[in-house]
Amino acid sequence: MARNQLDFLYGLVTVRVKGVLIEAFLQACTREGAYITNVKQVSDKEVHMTIRLKDWVIYRRLRKKYRCKIHIIARHGIPFLIHRLLAKKAVLAAFLCGIGALFLLANTLWSVQIKGLPPELEATVESQLESYGVTEGKLTIGMKDPNEVQRLLLEDVPDLLWIGVKKKGTSYQLYGVMKTRQDPDETTRPADLVASKKGIIKKMFITKGRPLVSVNQFVKKGTVLATGKLKEGTSEAAKDESEEDSGKYIEAEGEVIAETWYRAEIQVPEDQQLQLTDGEKSSAYSVGIGSINIPIWGWWNTDEENVRVETSQKKWDLFGWELPIRLEVKDMYAQEDVQPENDRVKQGIVAAKRDLKQKLDEEAKVIGEKVLHEREENGKVKLILLFKVHENIAVTKYVTQGD
Amino acid sequence: MVKWQQQIRTWVGRYFDLPSDVMLDLPRITTIGSIHAYIENHTGLLLFSDREVRLKYRDGHLSIKGKSLRIKMMLKEELLLEGTLDSIEFYPDPKKGGK
Repeated sequence: MARNQLDFLYGLVTVRVKGVLIEAFLQACTREGAYITNVKQVSDKEVHMTIRLKDWVIYRRLRKKYRCKIHIIARHGIPFLIHRLLAKKAVLAAFLCGIGALFLLANTLWSVQIKGLPPELEATVESQLESYGVTEGKLTIGMKDPNEVQRLLLEDVPDLLWIGVKKKGTSYQLYGVMKTRQDPDETTRPADLVASKKGIIKKMFITKGRPLVSVNQFVKKGTVLATGKLKEGTSEAAKDESEEDSGKYIEAEGEVIAETWYRAEIQVPEDQQLQLTDGEKSSAYSVGIGSINIPIWGWWNTDEENVRVETSQKKWDLFGWELPIRLEVKDMYAQEDVQPENDRVKQGIVAAKRDLKQKLDEEAKVIGEKVLHEREENGKVKLILLFKVHENIAVTKYVTQGD
Repeated sequence: MVKWQQQIRTWVGRYFDLPSDVMLDLPRITTIGSIHAYIENHTGLLLFSDREVRLKYRDGHLSIKGKSLRIKMMLKEELLLEGTLDSIEFYPDPKKGGK
């Protein structure tokens, strides 16, 4: 079997030999080293046999001498296959193109994934990668080594504590750790904490500095809540504090939660219309060229009543050129009119609270509201509301030291 | 001279218990039932048809008869026959005093 396969590799030829001295011819050929298989007599003075392609020269040399005629009937084996393939140029070209495309696609970078970094830093890393030529869609041949990329990134992006660059098939996976920046200037500027608005202090936590107010004290805007000056007053300098701290002015830090008040005016219409859709939609598609619209699907849905219609257009680009054809999709949502039977005042409060929360800090809490005034005019309810809010009112105020 | 050489050969073969085909240049024919015949050490193909194959060996020629004979493989001194074998006959050359 192994021999047969090897023969297939080198090529086999089935021939018809015609002549008087066939036996002598065969004998002579085998003496020269030829390998003959499947000799079959077809008629008197004519046999079929299979020979190896590489012995072909022997037969050619000897056939004259023995006056035999050789006709090739069939060719088998790799050499002939290759020959036939070469003859079909288009197939061969397609095959080579295919292999080339496969090679190119396999050597293209398909995705760059960055993990573990905040979005700003991720963008920085991405732009850096771009400057090294590591972007999606680029060939990985000739691209910088992952280790090299890692080294360069660590050098060029100072905010990176560490970044791991791994190439996995056709994708780059980066895992970064950001440097937690310690405040660079240790020598802080002298600063006080002052109130940003009026309120009653509910909770205080001064991490640095000396508090000047106490809980439940009413403060006005601009009142100093805590001072960075560790010693009380310049006039009483070095009275009860140790000498080392005298005159030292640090940056006060801390949180002062105070109850503050907000007034809000809001108008709520008497009659409200609420339209609800249940998410079920029917779509109509049409193709448009210029000003002409040709419906293609779902046009039978368009004449329904009480629907909300959303129209979206899709256009295509081809090599930067906008195609004149566009796809128009009309989504029709069945809708229902609902008359909300809610308390106007409650609605007003909810709306006002929502507005207020957008203005306030994230940590601020609205703890209560009060309707100060309620009046109906021109089909509207006019409300004046007061909100109680607990929020941090401490802001840093830098002090320029005169001396 | 030739005869004397041959006698020596026979004697050596017998003495050392060597296979006779090696010593005496005679063909070795192996058959598998009547479907295959494997002939080694022949010296030439004399006739080939689907009813008879005639081969030369040192001291004469032999004839294999059968039906639908084909040569499955042929090398310089080897031949593998396929088909339905009927008989193998030897025709020693009287001039050489064949065995």
